[in-house]
Amino acid sequence: MDQAKIGAGLFVFLALPPVANFMESVMVIHMHMQMPLLVVAGLLMAPFVQKRFPRIFEEWNPTGIPGILLFALITCYWLLPRAMDEALTYPGMEIFKFASLPFLAGIPLCDSWRKLGGTGQKWVVGFFAAVFMGMGLLYIFAPVRLCNNYLKIDQLTLGWGFVLTSVGMLVYLLYRALVNPAEYE
Amino acid sequence: MKTNRRHTLAIAAVLVAGLILFGAGTDGFRAFTSEAARVNRLMKEKPPFPEVVLEDSNGRTYTISEFRNKYVLMSFMYTSCPDLCVITEMNMAQIYARMPEQDLGENLVFLSISFDPKRDDPAALDRYRNHFGSDGETWRMVRVPDREELDLLLKRFGVIVIPDRDGNFAHNSAFYLLDRNGRLLKVMDYDKPEEAAKVVTAILENDRGE
Repeated sequence: MDQAKIGAGLFVFLALPPVANFMESVMVIHMHMQMPLLVVAGLLMAPFVQKRFPRIFEEWNPTGIPGILLFALITCYWLLPRAMDEALTYPGMEIFKFASLPFLAGIPLCDSWRKLGGTGQKWVVGFFAAVFMGMGLLYIFAPVRLCNNYLKIDQLTLGWGFVLTSVGMLVYLLYRALVNPAEYE
Repeated sequence: MKTNRRHTLAIAAVLVAGLILFGAGTDGFRAFTSEAARVNRLMKEKPPFPEVVLEDSNGRTYTISEFRNKYVLMSFMYTSCPDLCVITEMNMAQIYARMPEQDLGENLVFLSISFDPKRDDPAALDRYRNHFGSDGETWRMVRVPDREELDLLLKRFGVIVIPDRDGNFAHNSAFYLLDRNGRLLKVMDYDKPEEAAKVVTAILENDRGE
């Protein structure tokens, strides 16, 4: 219950107009802080929702695959340069961002992650490492500005943010493959 | 068994929702950036040029009806721009050079519109005009002195201008062709002057044929 309150608090905090305006004024903060934090808010609220509607999650997401697909879909949508631009231009898109990232990405991620098991989790991390690397290179090497609302230097910063996040994920996969934590216990 | 069916159904529903979301969000997988979406939308809507007051490098003021019955090829720029506008205007000069001489001023006018009215007074516009070989008649450089009118104009054609830290502006760029009634006819890539020149010449020749 407390965790859900923290999640709800985080969500409200992120939605405060001055906080949202500030985070959206810098491209890399918009994509790599605001959006993931919205997912985190959903993650924190998930156990509360799971307890209230346990049947839905058991019946519709028994393997975790539908949930993780929904998560991947929503996050990939928000990686599109156009989606980010439109969130700044159209209030409806901004509302959709604040609704979709916690409730359609964060909650399904929480419900699916354990159900997927080790191998499934590695596939998910691997998938996002590849996507982030691709998006990073796109943002770094694109000859034109991809977002009308941001400067090219912001785009470059964001590109490197993607590449570094991807490298972090690859390091994690390498660690999972090479290190057996049991040996150190 | 029931759970199994729901599981398959859930996966299918997510995939269909994804297709719809991505399809709708990219105009049917055609516009992944808002710039592409803007050009698609402009070409469909073909908005008219608003009745705003333009002031040119000679200090004359008029509205778009000054060019009634003529095609207008226009671009948006500001004279202290370090890069993008210089390229756009250089390419504009290339198109200008390829136009049939009998049409210039008669059937076709070139118009470079500054979105920096504070700095781009007629004197600044005149200096800029000289750089690019514009004659100030068949190729005019103008500003929109009134802030509200300027915003209306930029919004109408989807030109997004953001000031950066060094007193410059980041902005999108394109060539816009207005028809003889001042309505948008085409949006063309600012970086492909040959293509734009071909399109405009074809339209002029087509009109002569009729």
